[in-house]
Amino acid sequence: MFTSFNKKAFDYSDEAVKRDFELLIKALDSSVSGIIITDHKQPDNPIIYCNAAFEKITGYARAEIIGHNCRFLQGKDRAQQARQRIATAVEQEKECRVEIRNYRKNGDLFWNELYMSPVRDASGTVTHFIGVQNDVTLRKNAERELIEQKALMEKRVEERTAELRDSEAFLSSIIQTVRESLLVLDPDFRVLSANNHFLRTFKVNSQETVGMPLYELGNHQWDIARLKELLIKILPTNNPVIDFEVEHDFPHIGRKLMLLNAYRVELEGQYKDQILLAIEDITEKRDIERRKDDFLSIASHELKTPLTTVKGFMQMLGQLRPADASERYDMIFGKVTLSIDRLNALISELLDVSRIQSGNIEIHHDFFDFGKAVLEAVESIQNTSSSHQIEVSGTVEVEVMGDETHIVQVITNLLSNAIKYSPDADKVSVHMSRVSDFVKVSVTDYGLGIAPEDQSKVFDRFFRGQELQKRFSGMGIGLYICDQIVKSHGGTLWVDSVLGKGSTFSFTIPVNGQQSNEQ
Amino acid sequence: MSSKMILVCDDDPGILEMLEFVLSDAGFEVISTVDSLQVMSMASRRQPDLFLIDLWMPVLSGDALIKNIRENADLADVPVIAISASQESAALAQRAGATLFIAKPFDIFQLSEQVSALIADAGSR
Repeated sequence: MFTSFNKKAFDYSDEAVKRDFELLIKALDSSVSGIIITDHKQPDNPIIYCNAAFEKITGYARAEIIGHNCRFLQGKDRAQQARQRIATAVEQEKECRVEIRNYRKNGDLFWNELYMSPVRDASGTVTHFIGVQNDVTLRKNAERELIEQKALMEKRVEERTAELRDSEAFLSSIIQTVRESLLVLDPDFRVLSANNHFLRTFKVNSQETVGMPLYELGNHQWDIARLKELLIKILPTNNPVIDFEVEHDFPHIGRKLMLLNAYRVELEGQYKDQILLAIEDITEKRDIERRKDDFLSIASHELKTPLTTVKGFMQMLGQLRPADASERYDMIFGKVTLSIDRLNALISELLDVSRIQSGNIEIHHDFFDFGKAVLEAVESIQNTSSSHQIEVSGTVEVEVMGDETHIVQVITNLLSNAIKYSPDADKVSVHMSRVSDFVKVSVTDYGLGIAPEDQSKVFDRFFRGQELQKRFSGMGIGLYICDQIVKSHGGTLWVDSVLGKGSTFSFTIPVNGQQSNEQ
Repeated sequence: MSSKMILVCDDDPGILEMLEFVLSDAGFEVISTVDSLQVMSMASRRQPDLFLIDLWMPVLSGDALIKNIRENADLADVPVIAISASQESAALAQRAGATLFIAKPFDIFQLSEQVSALIADAGSR
């Protein structure tokens, strides 16, 4: 239809012209683009025509704008580059296409995609300009949003990358700072990374370490049978290896005692099956512990010698007691003798600790009459205590395999504690029984009791409850020794206690001696 | 009958003095030294009837000294009491050749009795 829409197709009768003109007007009014015509021959290019779409886009009625220059559309926003291009096009009588910020009558901004072209008469003189306007606000907004989104995304990516970099640097600085050697191994035990402490401790550099199989490191110095066993046998069972002690003689740095902790990464992804190996050098720590134990041992030996002298002279003094010695003399003499015995007991405990620490505690395994031993221990403590009555219940009529002296030591220690820590009570209960293939002894006092948070600590070496510290003397080693003795017999020692009501210490000993350790 | 002679050696002068008191009181003749290196020459000169020797001594330890005594033909049969603060040293004393081991601190009356018994026992052989 449009192809036939040319001059020849028009009928030039008045009626026909009018009809065709109305048709064209209708066509223009049905366009979605705003269309205006300005008269170039008049000053300031006034608008002489606008279509319905122009009214709709701008919000202005035809009557309000006919005769005006188009610039009212720009409102106060006059400094736009596009405006300059329009002015130039008008001046040079050329067509132009711009996107310009325009304002509706109500002041709302809209983006106007303006196509403007000159209309020439037969002589070529420009008579009019036709402006076609499209509201491209939505598209412009979408474009702008897209740009903003993109910028935002880029910013976010940058931030995340920086965060990752930071956190990686942070983690890596932690790994480099810890005073423990850390290695990361791939599933074939090749070193992926080694921290500074590892390099320093084992006097190697990272070039000769990273990328190498663990066992080939430093001239095969890490080719340690125990370590291999640990990595090959234990780790694949998905059990982490915790505090595994390995002693190894390294060619350059000498004998090292190490505590190994190994963990296999089970996460899916890039770290899967990598092995984290933490190596703690405890050579020095052990050495210090050993020296401390040696000190304990020497100190208590040295203390015993003058104690022997004092005890000997006291005994002689006892022989020289005048026949008419006063009651006061005997009382003082008795107190000195008691203190000497106490001092001796304390030193003996220290010696026991040093023996236990150095693994020198000697347990003699013989069958002995357990029930009789308990009764004898009770009797010996009862003889020294007039404040408390020791009540015994139950019987054990079986020979038990173990060290009678040490078992008696445990019972007397528990009994002395029971009396010591129940100053306001007047009795202590002892119960003995046979339980399955164990014998069991419980010593109950009706005294201070032990706070729940302290109950697990009372068997620790040199532990003293806060309250005890203030009211009672002691070194905090008696229960430690008892626990060690019971353990070395294959039994257990434990406490049930209610603060303010009293405590029951119980232990078990296997009747036929320790079996678990012999397997 | 002349009194029996005991040679006492302990590096601690205090305990030495105490033992001299105790054993003299019990009727023994006591010769003593804090220096374990002196023991062999003193013993050769005086021929004691019993040795009382501390195990834990500097330079020449008690167990080494007891071995020396046991290796000396004149002294090999003389009873030796080893004393030490550590009960564990009993085995050490026995290996060295001590006749008896006594842990510090000891009861002086029991010690006197044991000394007398050992001397009597050695004399009857």
